[in-house]
Amino acid sequence: MATSTAADQAGWYVYGIVPADTEPPRGMRTIGDGRGATLVRSGTIAALTSPVPIDVPIGTPDDLVAHQKMLDAVAERAAVLPMRFGAVLATDDAVQRGLLEPHRDEFAAALDKFAGKVQFLVAGRYVQAAVLTEVLNENAEAVELAAAIRGEDELATRDLRIRLGEVVNAAVAAKREADTAAFATAIEPCCEAISRREAGHEDDAVDLALLVDRDREDDLRRSVQEAAARWRDRVAFRLLGPMAPYDFVVASHGG
Amino acid sequence: MTAVQSTGGSMLDRPSPTGLADVIDTILDKGLVIDAYVRVSLVGIEVLTIDARIVVASVDTYLRFAEAVNRLDISHDKEGLPGLVGGMQQSGAKHKTKGALDAAGDKLREVTSGKAERVRSGRHHED
Repeated sequence: MATSTAADQAGWYVYGIVPADTEPPRGMRTIGDGRGATLVRSGTIAALTSPVPIDVPIGTPDDLVAHQKMLDAVAERAAVLPMRFGAVLATDDAVQRGLLEPHRDEFAAALDKFAGKVQFLVAGRYVQAAVLTEVLNENAEAVELAAAIRGEDELATRDLRIRLGEVVNAAVAAKREADTAAFATAIEPCCEAISRREAGHEDDAVDLALLVDRDREDDLRRSVQEAAARWRDRVAFRLLGPMAPYDFVVASHGG
Repeated sequence: MTAVQSTGGSMLDRPSPTGLADVIDTILDKGLVIDAYVRVSLVGIEVLTIDARIVVASVDTYLRFAEAVNRLDISHDKEGLPGLVGGMQQSGAKHKTKGALDAAGDKLREVTSGKAERVRSGRHHED
């Protein structure tokens, strides 16, 4: 392999699994050599792939965006099981015989399950000043500690600051739990499934992936909008999607 | 509508995920893992990845929270409580936005510089 030329070193980048009659999106940036995305079929299912040179590392910002845009474009009109970024097989035969054929029933059943459904992400971030004001109104220890550090030297009060931060962090975490539960309850009627993402930032209030029937997209937007309006002074919301059901595919297979 | 505003404007009007941070969290962390399905023929291509998640609770987090409370306290003193809420929320939101942008920028830099380095060393290999 080390002696072959760059042109020979092509692999097959796999974006995801789709029904075999899916039209691959055209005119989109692909990962690899710029030739378009193609389907490698096996019965009623197919892998959405593009050829990729294997002597160049992948994972640039452009690559990451290309992966997601490709899958989201497919998800607009077909069911799709998204692969995690970075799946490359040696040959189209490997895609067919190694990936598709042995797991055809499993993939076909999963595609059926996702037919007509898309994912949305809803992310709410606390308006920091508002949520901190809430904490100070509710937590006597935080108020005491805040008074103790006020105007004092930062290094001299480091322990008190850490303690204050700890208390505030715990209070915000409790709010996150309560708010996430309340928000999930509010939008649940519009969703087929809800998957919670781990908080990635201390200001995160709500971070949920939603599996939604395509026909109910308007309902969902309305529900999110209503919840966002209710919490407008304390949480800033973003609704992302429709996108491929990244958070709802699970590899149940061991090999 | 201000309630749904964020770094990218109103997300309810602009539904497509475009930020690199959103993409990273989604496609590096989620989705089918091909290794679970295929044991042979997986190409050992080098994949540049980064750890997308920030640790939620650390001393840094605590100190940031303490500083934020301290700033809030000082503003209370200066402006008095009633008029405070509107003004503080705005500056709070601004601060938050900047933080998010910084974080996204850091991720981007990490990816880009990692790429530059590795691509360079990769080429040396090839030449």
